[in-house]
Amino acid sequence: MFVNKSMTRKVITGNPEMNLIEARELMIEHQIRHLPIVDQENRLVGIVTDRDIRSAMPSIVLDDYDSSDERKRLSGIRLENIMTRDLVTVSPMYTIQDALLLIQKTRVGAFPVVDDEKRLIGIISIRDLVRAFINVLGIGEPGTLIGILVDQKVGQMKRIVDAITEERISFGSILVARYWEEEDKRAVFPYLLTNNVARVKKKLQDMGYTLLDPMEWYIDKLPGNE
Amino acid sequence: MRRTGFVYDERFLRHKTGPYHPEIPDRLVAGYKGIQEGALLEHLTLIPAVPARQKWIESVHHVAYILRFEEACLYGMTEFESPDNQMCQESYDIALLAVGGILAAVKAVMEGEIDNAFCPIRPPGHHAEIAKAMGFCYFNNIAIAARYLQQEFGVERVGIIDFDVHHGNGTQHIFEEDSSVFYYSIHEHPSFAFPGTGREFEKGANAGFGYTLNSPMLPGQGDDEFKMLIERDLIPAFGTFQPQVILASTGFDGHRDDEMSGINLSTECFSWIMERIMQMGDQYAKGRVISILEGGYSLARLPELIRNHVAILMGR
Repeated sequence: MFVNKSMTRKVITGNPEMNLIEARELMIEHQIRHLPIVDQENRLVGIVTDRDIRSAMPSIVLDDYDSSDERKRLSGIRLENIMTRDLVTVSPMYTIQDALLLIQKTRVGAFPVVDDEKRLIGIISIRDLVRAFINVLGIGEPGTLIGILVDQKVGQMKRIVDAITEERISFGSILVARYWEEEDKRAVFPYLLTNNVARVKKKLQDMGYTLLDPMEWYIDKLPGNE
Repeated sequence: MRRTGFVYDERFLRHKTGPYHPEIPDRLVAGYKGIQEGALLEHLTLIPAVPARQKWIESVHHVAYILRFEEACLYGMTEFESPDNQMCQESYDIALLAVGGILAAVKAVMEGEIDNAFCPIRPPGHHAEIAKAMGFCYFNNIAIAARYLQQEFGVERVGIIDFDVHHGNGTQHIFEEDSSVFYYSIHEHPSFAFPGTGREFEKGANAGFGYTLNSPMLPGQGDDEFKMLIERDLIPAFGTFQPQVILASTGFDGHRDDEMSGINLSTECFSWIMERIMQMGDQYAKGRVISILEGGYSLARLPELIRNHVAILMGR
């Protein structure tokens, strides 16, 4: 799962000579928060975020926010003066996992995707990753989630999958989460593409599994409630 | 006492769903038993069911979908579009009959022959999309009833209340851009229950924005939470919308003894919601309330639930 499969390819870009007002309007129009700045050869030279724009603008509580003097001043500010040049970029052959970990590490919300000549070929943002994650969860399709507590030992998943498959139920996804309450336990969340889970739930219980109380479900939790 | 219509036809039992399915003919038998035991039967007006004309099915569903369903039955296929939708050769005919029965009840109400009606039909309808069967549903019965009210009787504001424990995705999608049909649903939260729609922020689209309202309920919350949500969300919304007719997607599967859900409602809570619906019916809709069965799978509880439901419609 490479970034080039999930990235946005039609990137809205700016150029270094563009002014602040033009950039702001472009970003509002396209509902984007990151504007990569490219030169005439489409080589990435910087990025402007909505935060960069906002901090260059006067406070909205000022009366002269929209006055012609102020507009004039803002249209004199070129993007090359406010853009971030020290960029985190990724290659199209980065994986989605790379991108997720990089977002966590850098706290940056979007990465321009560049080829070997630094030419901009896409952008991958938290939004793209959210979409990919929704897709992986399978929640776009109708179904029912169940939560099962299992021992962390080999062969558990096979038993669960077999039991569900015997009921002729298809899987939308299966999540496995660490279960902090008990050592050596995992919480398994099969998303089942059916309205009919009563029988399979009973079957899993008869096999000795504990079904987790839905109000206690979680897939992520900071250990010790930090 | 009100004159309550009753759409019942033993042919509804002939839609067979196989050995491992919760949506079975015995559900209706259980409901019928409850009505008999409550000595209500002789006071109901029996509405005979005749197959609906295809025109009315087409008021909601694509022709190609209707044909696909008919062909699947003719070929003797035992499931349609998903293993959830188990069926038999007669299912298409029975589904047409169910819609026909409902439309007959709607007509009788609109022409003043009866005040309100209960339609314990099978198969259910609220999950059925315009061109997709889903969650045991083939034709969206209640959506077709709403279209019939609009097109045949010129009703301008139809209010749908869906208290089946599952969200009525089909009904919502059919009317989400339509401001003449208000769709309200209370159901188990979609992150915990089928079909995964009906989130609080789904409020309709375009001209229909604000005419869809969802009250998702978290697992285990019970009667108090249910009643609070109805009072907080449904009551004011219908007060503003002022429906001229109320259609209810009646599901009893939120009951605590029903294995299909986990919101933990009592038998009394189902009487409470029906009384509340009847009050709104009197207030806005000249008492015109048509209740259409969706889910409810506890054979042990259906007799009392349906008996109470019908008694409230009858004003007894």
